[in-house]
Amino acid sequence: MTRERGTLRRAVRLLGLDTRRVLLAVLTGTLALGCAVALAAVSAWLIARASQMPPVLQLSIATVAVRTFGIGRGVLRYVDRLVSHDVALRGMTNLRTTLYTRLAAGRSEATLRVRRGDLLARVGADVDAVGDVVVRGLLPAGVALLLGIGTVTAMAFFWPPAAVALAACLVLAGVVAPLLAARGARASERRAVTARADASAAALAALDDAGPLLVAGGVGRRVAELRDADRRLARAVDAGAASSAVAAGLGILATGLAATAALVTGIPAVVSGALAPVELAVIVLTPLAAFEATGMLPAAAVSVQRSRAAAARILALLDSAAPDAEPRGTAEPPAATSRPPVQFPELSVAIHDPNVRKVNVGEGAGIVARGLDCGWPGLPPVLRGVDLDVAPGRSVAIVGPSGAGKTTLLLTLAGLLPRAGGTLLVDGDEPTVLDPAERAARVVVTAEDAHVFGTTVLENLRVARGDVTPDEATAALTAAGLQDWLAALPDGLDTMLGPDARTVSGGERRRLLLARALLAPAPLLLVDEPAEHLDPATADALVTSLLAGPRTPAGGPRGVVVVTHRLTPLAAADEVLWVESGRIAARGTHAELSAGLLDYGEAVRRERVTADHRERA
Amino acid sequence: MKPLDPRLLRYARSARGYLALTVGLGIVTAALVVAQALLLAHALARAAHDGATLASLRPAIGWLAAVVVARASVVAVQERFAHRAATRAVGELRAGVVEHAVALGPRWLATGRGPEVVTLATRGLDALEPYFVRYLPQLVLSATVTPATILVVLGLDWVSAAIVVGTLPLIPIFMVLIGRMTEGRSERGLHAMSRLGSQVLDLLAGLPTLRAFGRQAGPAVRVRALGDAHRRATMGTLRVAFLSGMVLELLTTLSVALVAVSIGLRLVGGGLTLETGLAVLVLAPEVYWPLRQVGAQFHASTDGVAAAEAAFAVLEAPVPAVGTVPCPDLRRATLALTGVTVRSSGGRTPSALDLTVAPGTVTALVGPSGAGKTTTVEVLLGLLRPDEGTASLVVPGAAPVALADLDPATYWPQVAWLPQRPVLEPGSLRALVGPGASDEALASAAALTGLDAVVAGLPAGWDTVLGAGGAGLSVGQRQRVALTRALLSPAPFVVLDEPTAHLDAAGERVVLATVAAMRAADRTVLLVAHRPSLVATADSVVTVTPVEAAAR
Repeated sequence: MTRERGTLRRAVRLLGLDTRRVLLAVLTGTLALGCAVALAAVSAWLIARASQMPPVLQLSIATVAVRTFGIGRGVLRYVDRLVSHDVALRGMTNLRTTLYTRLAAGRSEATLRVRRGDLLARVGADVDAVGDVVVRGLLPAGVALLLGIGTVTAMAFFWPPAAVALAACLVLAGVVAPLLAARGARASERRAVTARADASAAALAALDDAGPLLVAGGVGRRVAELRDADRRLARAVDAGAASSAVAAGLGILATGLAATAALVTGIPAVVSGALAPVELAVIVLTPLAAFEATGMLPAAAVSVQRSRAAAARILALLDSAAPDAEPRGTAEPPAATSRPPVQFPELSVAIHDPNVRKVNVGEGAGIVARGLDCGWPGLPPVLRGVDLDVAPGRSVAIVGPSGAGKTTLLLTLAGLLPRAGGTLLVDGDEPTVLDPAERAARVVVTAEDAHVFGTTVLENLRVARGDVTPDEATAALTAAGLQDWLAALPDGLDTMLGPDARTVSGGERRRLLLARALLAPAPLLLVDEPAEHLDPATADALVTSLLAGPRTPAGGPRGVVVVTHRLTPLAAADEVLWVESGRIAARGTHAELSAGLLDYGEAVRRERVTADHRERA
Repeated sequence: MKPLDPRLLRYARSARGYLALTVGLGIVTAALVVAQALLLAHALARAAHDGATLASLRPAIGWLAAVVVARASVVAVQERFAHRAATRAVGELRAGVVEHAVALGPRWLATGRGPEVVTLATRGLDALEPYFVRYLPQLVLSATVTPATILVVLGLDWVSAAIVVGTLPLIPIFMVLIGRMTEGRSERGLHAMSRLGSQVLDLLAGLPTLRAFGRQAGPAVRVRALGDAHRRATMGTLRVAFLSGMVLELLTTLSVALVAVSIGLRLVGGGLTLETGLAVLVLAPEVYWPLRQVGAQFHASTDGVAAAEAAFAVLEAPVPAVGTVPCPDLRRATLALTGVTVRSSGGRTPSALDLTVAPGTVTALVGPSGAGKTTTVEVLLGLLRPDEGTASLVVPGAAPVALADLDPATYWPQVAWLPQRPVLEPGSLRALVGPGASDEALASAAALTGLDAVVAGLPAGWDTVLGAGGAGLSVGQRQRVALTRALLSPAPFVVLDEPTAHLDAAGERVVLATVAAMRAADRTVLLVAHRPSLVATADSVVTVTPVEAAAR
């Protein structure tokens, strides 16, 4: 519980709230509700005094005050709502910016995980939920506190015993009731989480597979599961209902008790002359209006309770991205890391195949991996013992069954995932200790699920390099086989693409990502499945051109590593790595593997059969 | 949009009892509100005006305390059952929607309504909770407490009643006026808000990509700028949206103030007693209180009302009539499609397809993705009626029967369908794959499909219990489970939709062997295939050609 409280406090601190604005919001809120209390008090005084039939002139101030407070309440409440929402929205902007900045500067695998999980879909809602804490929790609590103190103090001037009773009742309604409400919500929520998830899963399963379930006769079972989950949900809600019920009743009880207590303590005082009869009306009727602020607090406590989970998710996201576990190049030079640089005897010579073209681009240039293990942090490595040399001008293809760790290898080579073992140098430095900009200047990876931003085609290409000219963009799109697509776009390079490129097909998306990668200035390019969702002929042409002597935009030689499932175009690669069962199962040229490796040869033949089949058709 | 749709009571039975309870409690509340005001006014007036002692007022104060406790109890009871009723009603609607949507069939779900129903069944209907818990009780109170208090005020002092009745209609009038005025503006504001919000999320989603290119630092400024723009757009909308709230508050507090002033002035003139004046003063805010709450909860309830209406739309969609003709033995019957066209958002997929599936043969359906291969399967299974052409079952020596006229209860048990994404019920692997099959049959089938290696790696072998959707198995392993099940199933007609998807070269050999075994058992096999090796095993190959929407 203490830890949970800390969670919310930390998350609210991330909102970076402006104290003066918060105070202004609390003040306007208090004044607005204070007007209602004052309206009740003045009305009571007016009526009680009027019944003593004084000259009408004596009542004129009160009649004006009553109307003023009536208007003031509405206007101030309007201002209060605007000010408090403004405070919350400013906080949410701060939180989003902090979130972005920390994720951008933090460990890269955290952001990769966000992309993969459903976290992202929730980030927006979670930020809103934390902002909600301000509008629904923090500010109403502040208003209730200030207003309570004000009302009790004013009451004490008339008749202290009634003030004491009012204070006790305010605590009952403003502290005890919210605590009970929160407890009830917590009790329900704890039990309801599983039931709610089960109900969603059962509904989803039935709807997603409606056809197969109908044919296989499984609909009844799924609906029964759904009903069962809903029954458990109802029981979970019942578990917290008693607390919520008492909390709701307490608010009403407190109001009535405060008025009754004022009567009971005030009447003897009137009889003894300690209290004027007019004042009795004031102290009895004022409490009826004094509980509006506390009345909002049980609901506030429940919503704060619900925001806690959102706050915890945001903090977990930030913690997972915290850079402390990863040494940063900007903080300390590579030489100071615990891992000493490794000397390699043959730097740009391939180990297994002496026949590969040797490109001399200077010592230490390119990717040099020895005994490299790849995997996601916290999980066992999926691929072990990778030896690889990719100097500018050299092309390597990685193939193998899905799930063999090809993508993980690419991300590791690019320095986006920490290596799980072995050594890895990019142009002589460990990629993970380099400054991100410096690292991207040396090696760039285009992941399968790389993002297409909701902006123009040109701006999407400029992600690779800010100064891409329209001509360069057209050339890159042409190189990626998108010239016809580009020609068909309504606004050419200025055409807007939907968020996550819903308006481009799978194949177009892959080629757009490839065009972007081609525009990157880095001499080393790692590309994941550029030809997925394309017909075989287009796919093969694309991969062949990518493997056969690519150049950087500046015209220099470029080293490429391509992960692909098409084997036919790999004749253009200098080396092919066959990844299977967590290791490099075989390596060599396309010709060598076709002749020497049974599975590889069979797969190549199958691709050929497809091509023949298509020609016949 | 009705505040209380009678259909809600029809489809969610729990809501009926709850509504009855709420109305009952609403009537009691009205009585208690009036009693509290009269008792308070009586005690106060006697003490302040007549100088009565505490002892003489003890009965009145005792009753007042009792009324206060009763009011608190009523609120507690209401709250106690509101949450329960909301959960139950949501559960009933959810189950009803899911059941009805499944009965409407996969095609109905695929025509754009699917995602909506999924959202409705997973999260959307939960929005009914605030409707039941907060909105409905206040709605009932505005129909009980408001008229009751007005009547009592009328009985006490007709001038005050006139003020109240005069201002009351202004509330809905102003609300409608402001609603009209702000409608367009709010919608524009909401649109801008969601666009800005999605741009920030877009940048967050693209962060790994920006990092890969070393360009992650720049957009932080943009995130802040977008956030500021978001705030300005939101505040612009709120400035207008909160106006209705302000008008409501102004009208109610001002009319209470007017009542107070008018009572005060008439008390001075001696036309009114203090007790009456105090009673009216206490009652006047109570007239408006439920209305203010309805206004305050209105926005919270609209999502729930919209969700309920969407649920009714699903529940009221007519289910196509189920066929009644008993299905003949599929081992002797030929399935025939003639000129079948199905219209979809992608065009005509398939377009004018002719297909004959003769008993004991292997037929392959090929064609580009999106051509309508799976749609063709759904037509063949009677899940979907073609827009053009006929789909029928031909038995030698008998008249052809339209597939849609077949009784599914006699047709579907003769079919083993392995969809693209295999559907695995939770339960033990043995029960899942071949309930009733002997160990030998299981072992030999598993050896053929490669499931034996999977079973060997499971903690409890065949008795391993799998979660929903086969949780705990990889996609490829699930595919092998489903293949083994299709192999062991006695159904004479087997449909394999892309059985080699998610499988590597070794897995592909397994599928070929499985199809060969099915052919050897004289079963009818329909393959939806991409890979040529699979196509090569078929007796006949049918190409599905679409006519794309743009080409029409």
